[in-house]
Amino acid sequence: MVTASRRILALGGHDFDRRVGNDAICDLIVELADSPRPKICLLPTASGDPEDQIARFRRAFSERDCAPQVISLFRLGENPVDLREELLNQDVIYAGGGSMLNLIAIWKAHGLEMILRECWNEGVLIVGQSAGAMCWFQGGITSSSGEPAVASGFGLLPGSACVHYLTEPVRRRRFLRAVASGEVEPGLGLEDQTGALFEGTELTETISARDGAAVWEVTPEHAGAREAELHSRRLEDSRPPIHDMRSDVLELRQTLATRASRRRAGRRRPGRLE
Amino acid sequence: MRQVVAFGGGGFSQESGNPLLDDYVLGLTGTASPRVCFLPTASGDADHYVVRFYNAFRDRARASHVSLFRRERGVPDIRSHLLAQDLIYVGGGSLISLLGVWRAHGIDSMLREAYEAGVILCGLSAGSLCWFTEAVSGYHGEVNRVPALGFLPHSNAVHYCDGDRRGAFHRHLQDGMPAGYAAEDGAALRFVGDELVEVVASRPAARAYKLERRGSQILETRLATRYLGAEATVDVVRGCAPGTTRLSIVRQAAA
Repeated sequence: MVTASRRILALGGHDFDRRVGNDAICDLIVELADSPRPKICLLPTASGDPEDQIARFRRAFSERDCAPQVISLFRLGENPVDLREELLNQDVIYAGGGSMLNLIAIWKAHGLEMILRECWNEGVLIVGQSAGAMCWFQGGITSSSGEPAVASGFGLLPGSACVHYLTEPVRRRRFLRAVASGEVEPGLGLEDQTGALFEGTELTETISARDGAAVWEVTPEHAGAREAELHSRRLEDSRPPIHDMRSDVLELRQTLATRASRRRAGRRRPGRLE
Repeated sequence: MRQVVAFGGGGFSQESGNPLLDDYVLGLTGTASPRVCFLPTASGDADHYVVRFYNAFRDRARASHVSLFRRERGVPDIRSHLLAQDLIYVGGGSLISLLGVWRAHGIDSMLREAYEAGVILCGLSAGSLCWFTEAVSGYHGEVNRVPALGFLPHSNAVHYCDGDRRGAFHRHLQDGMPAGYAAEDGAALRFVGDELVEVVASRPAARAYKLERRGSQILETRLATRYLGAEATVDVVRGCAPGTTRLSIVRQAAA
């Protein structure tokens, strides 16, 4: 008997729109699914199942000749399904971002933790971004309660992860402190539009779909933490990215927020945290 | 004074253009400009739901909401915010998700504290079921017993209009679930302390029931209901008078 390969693709930040790098990552997911017309199911639990995210997901994977499906735990009343049966039937399960604390609490309340572990063991490719990526590790840095804080994950993968690396300096600093103090295991700092692919519990590859975006290996060193950039396979978008008005506005806001928090805290580039 | 108003359904969420239940809970606060905080957790903090809350309440109350999915953008100290309210209004949706998220954020103990301090708690659907010791929840297809917060030592069912829920409530009572109350859409149960003190309705025909097990039988009592609308004086029950008892034998209890 051939053991199904257990794979998790953890993404530092991704969306189903056409901003730089997002297309390339959707293409990668379809390639990894390695199936004609792959069945891919979104679990948007961590953000409360918002309609706009669901619509973007459906559009992105419909146009890639996949069979997209969504399980909304907040709307099971309107659409009851056998969760285990539906999820085991997928080629890919995509866990969306949002609140890691809520994601873990809700999945546990609905008994989804065990089902997803079973899916992983049965060879369903697990993809997750942001909260949906950190939840598979032993721990991560969540802003679910406001200020970034250490949170435990399901522990399918060893070590820890911190998403939106560099775009969210306060989160990154909290991660460095947690790794330095041993609050979390050493782990990965994942920038937006980058990812880490695990086979079993081994990190086999890191990818980057945006210029300058990297995956960092973060380990304790002396009294601090050390960040080392990992070599990532560069993915290119297959068509020109689109910056619509709305995402420009979002980016502007993000930039301003980043600047403000850097101003407050004093800017630090990757390197060593004392 | 500890108070809960549990809607079987209705209010701004379900009865647009009929503000009777919302007016009623606002009136209970005894202040002209009550502080009202909406908890949309059971809907996943759906934006459209939050907007509808503000549309319904912003002219009548000092309205706010707490989002547990985007806490970084919300009030920094949820506990103090909840304790400062006159009324906490919980929206409908998934009871299981609601309880999971509240427990993860410690909201359950904050609400207990607010309740003990006299903040009025209300809500519809999942926002009604959550206050009781056990809920008969039909949200996830099958109608199941779900242990809830237990502020009120009774069981509860909402949207008590369909046969599935009635059958399930009776079955669960036979299986030992504590006695409790069921409310139809448009009916609301007002508790002071553990005691039911009044049943009100935003629709003339909306009703609520008390359910208990007597030996091997289930006793379902239709409760006297005060219609909150203009022609409030006459009880317009069709079929049976308020307080009429229906005795239904579901099945013999195991010997």
